[in-house]
Amino acid sequence: MRFIAAFAACAAVLLAAPGARASVAKYAVRADIDGIDVVALRTGVQDVVTLVGSLPAGDDRSPPGNVMLATLTGAMLDKGTTVQDKFAIAEKLGNVGARLSFSVDTNTLMISGRCLRKDLPLLVGLMAEQLRTPAFSEQEFKKLQVQLQGAVRQQQEDPGFRAGDAFSRAVFPVGHPNRQPTAEQMLADMSKTTIAEVRQFHQQYYGPSGMRLVIVGDVDPTAAQAEVRKAFSGWTGGSLPPALTPAKAAASAQIETIVMADKTSVAVVIGQATQLKYSDPDTLPLRLGTRIFGGDGFTTRLMANVRDKEGLTYGVYAYVSGDTFTDGDWRIQGDFAPALLDKGIASTRRQLEAWHADGITDAELKREKTQFAGNYQVGLATSGGMAGTILVMLNRGMPLEFVDEYPARVKAITRDQVNSAIRKHLDPAKMTLVKAGTIGGAEADPPAAN
Amino acid sequence: MKRAIAAISLVAALATGPVLAQAADAPVSVPGFNYVRTVGTISEYTLESNGLTVLLMPERSAPVVTFMVTYLVGSRNEVTGTTGATHLLEHLMFKGSDAFNDVKGNSVKQYLATVGGNLNATTSLDRTNYFAMVGKEFLEGYVAIEADRMRNLWLREEDRQLEMTVVRNEFEQGENDPQQALDVEINAAAIIAHPYHHSTIGWRSDIENVPIEKLRAFYDTYYWPNNATVSVIGDFEPAAVLGLIKKYYGTFTRSPRPIPQVYTTEPEQQGERRVTVRRAGETGIVGIAYKSVAGRDADYPALSVLGTILGSGKTSRFYKALTDANLTLGAFAQAGFFHDPQLFQIYAFLAPGADHAQVEKVLREEIERVKKDGVTDAEVATALGKYKASIAYGRDGSFAIASNLNESIAAGDWTLYYTVDDATAKVTAADVKRVANKYLDVNKSTTGWFIPTTPDAAAK
Repeated sequence: MRFIAAFAACAAVLLAAPGARASVAKYAVRADIDGIDVVALRTGVQDVVTLVGSLPAGDDRSPPGNVMLATLTGAMLDKGTTVQDKFAIAEKLGNVGARLSFSVDTNTLMISGRCLRKDLPLLVGLMAEQLRTPAFSEQEFKKLQVQLQGAVRQQQEDPGFRAGDAFSRAVFPVGHPNRQPTAEQMLADMSKTTIAEVRQFHQQYYGPSGMRLVIVGDVDPTAAQAEVRKAFSGWTGGSLPPALTPAKAAASAQIETIVMADKTSVAVVIGQATQLKYSDPDTLPLRLGTRIFGGDGFTTRLMANVRDKEGLTYGVYAYVSGDTFTDGDWRIQGDFAPALLDKGIASTRRQLEAWHADGITDAELKREKTQFAGNYQVGLATSGGMAGTILVMLNRGMPLEFVDEYPARVKAITRDQVNSAIRKHLDPAKMTLVKAGTIGGAEADPPAAN
Repeated sequence: MKRAIAAISLVAALATGPVLAQAADAPVSVPGFNYVRTVGTISEYTLESNGLTVLLMPERSAPVVTFMVTYLVGSRNEVTGTTGATHLLEHLMFKGSDAFNDVKGNSVKQYLATVGGNLNATTSLDRTNYFAMVGKEFLEGYVAIEADRMRNLWLREEDRQLEMTVVRNEFEQGENDPQQALDVEINAAAIIAHPYHHSTIGWRSDIENVPIEKLRAFYDTYYWPNNATVSVIGDFEPAAVLGLIKKYYGTFTRSPRPIPQVYTTEPEQQGERRVTVRRAGETGIVGIAYKSVAGRDADYPALSVLGTILGSGKTSRFYKALTDANLTLGAFAQAGFFHDPQLFQIYAFLAPGADHAQVEKVLREEIERVKKDGVTDAEVATALGKYKASIAYGRDGSFAIASNLNESIAAGDWTLYYTVDDATAKVTAADVKRVANKYLDVNKSTTGWFIPTTPDAAAK
């Protein structure tokens, strides 16, 4: 779903915080089951199983002129199957407290499930049924269109969403998967999409090819894979992720202001496209340097200065995103009171320019490596954290062993590599600035057209 | 302090053989501590010298530990002029002391930035909690700093001035959210005498103007060992951890004066109340809040099940009557779990084309249907199935456990962490019907509408 993409990307960044020496590859059981890449891993948690998965049927597969087709198709999966209606499925899941959901992001259909150990066969069975044989009822489709229209409008109320959304259009060219369509385009395209087009999209892109499932927790890996094999037996089709071309570098700095009425805090994004995929050798050094500059925590350069020393914001962060399947972006995201907006942006820019010009210090790098290791360890301490990390790594094209090797790879990064990556791939002078909120005396932008 | 990087291993997090159901560790005897009781797998101790309560729950699914200290002070302890003070003080707790501060390079933020893990604090109606989740080898370093700031905080005016604008921006971000803005108004109208009247973040003018002297008085009133509970969840040895706690918290005395208790009770509501928030937006919202019970009340479990039946997922009454009919984008209902009686709240987010009156009418019809006809055994079974699984999910990792335990501590009895589960498992359809009739009384309700003022927004 278009409006979930930002959250999913952010979660992936956090989950991917690397740094510990592990033995995931040794204990995980991985198999190709009729084309599906399945990883199962037993951890110490009791009675809980987390299942996550992905299938390359994201928004990047939607054709021009029908930008909501992938989202509409994914959202129809939980609206009933040819076997049973949505209420029967919801009752079966609800009776045992199992959770199963599907969402569509820029590149994939994401699958998320959770259940008690005894209920894994039920969860896997219903997941397969919904993926393989959705009913695609015309009546449900019409309901969904209204729901999604409301959801698209609802996200327009959020300055943070509006700023990030506009930023994507400023830094990625037309046709790039990370470029988000406007609300107007989503609403217009959605209203003319037919259920026949949804059926066709499902037939074309849904199948075992390119699909991944990761099952983690209180689980017998072999038994779990047997359930997957049983549930997906005979399923064919699907497609591998498409090859994508990098975005062009920004030629000059842009400034965009989105004026919204009655907002008490202004959302700000500053950044650029990187032309880097996660698998690029420069990405990990750039990510490490970015964490020092504005990662999570209170001691980053941005938080220590813009928040702690100057009191200008509740939060200001920097991160790399959207680089799993294609080239991504680098951005700062912060919020400022309208009266402190100019000061906040100026302070943020000062930190950006100093970081870019002078680079990071040896002391910062040493501390960040240790913090990385601790964060990674803590992040893998739940079944959800472990499952999410494995899936992200595999989708980035890394082998399973990378989950274990990640800390050593981070530890080996040098200060020169970090500073070189910063200077090579980022240019503050050409970064785009987007502001969204109640700014100055300008009138609010008109609402999205129907 | 051990600061090794390479020793961290995840091997212990991965189970290679049968995993047995965890039993409580046997109580340990550590001089200076009184063993109080064990409930479930949590053991309670008291530090004799100052009354600090300690809860230990070994949970060795991963080589990490969550250490959390919960102070029994929240926004319910505030009065006019100091609303938001608890939360502002929580922020100032990160500003340092003589022993641990940014200049020395050993503040709590810097320590966690060095060893990795999660560090934060939160404030709510009844409590303030500070916590870190770290590799077990880094626990002592954190305990030393966390204990120190219980009594040795700097609390300087220059820090207040800088942090005020940070907190005010947090307030401003919350105000950006239509539901949060409506929720503040509904709470303020529904609760007029009890301090649950105001939200935890407080009123803007109080955030801006509360003097440092009042924050100091607040700190000196509530930040004492006999008003705090330390919870330790994760991979540790109980005797060793008690030794650490004694080493760092044992230096403090009890509070010189008794901790003040809130004595205000909410007068009986005698008629429906209504509020409206009109501002720019895209989506209308209807909220209804009924007077409810405290978390310790025997009726809380049935109200919790009622909330699930009304508003949780596709099997719920509201989904079928509203969302599936394209009147709402979603709707939920839940009973607040707090120290004092609070609210049973319902929120519905209008779908394009729906209007507030229509949605409110359906919400009330569904409530009346439950009151008149009750709910089915199947609905209760589904709600309990969800609840039972959520208990297991809430024990996936030491931080999730600590967070849930923290809310039971705040509600006034940490054993609620278990006893509410036990009581909920026994809820029947008759119980649900009874509490619906007892509490979902229109004369004890407050209804709020968020009306987006964007031209023709309601008609989209």
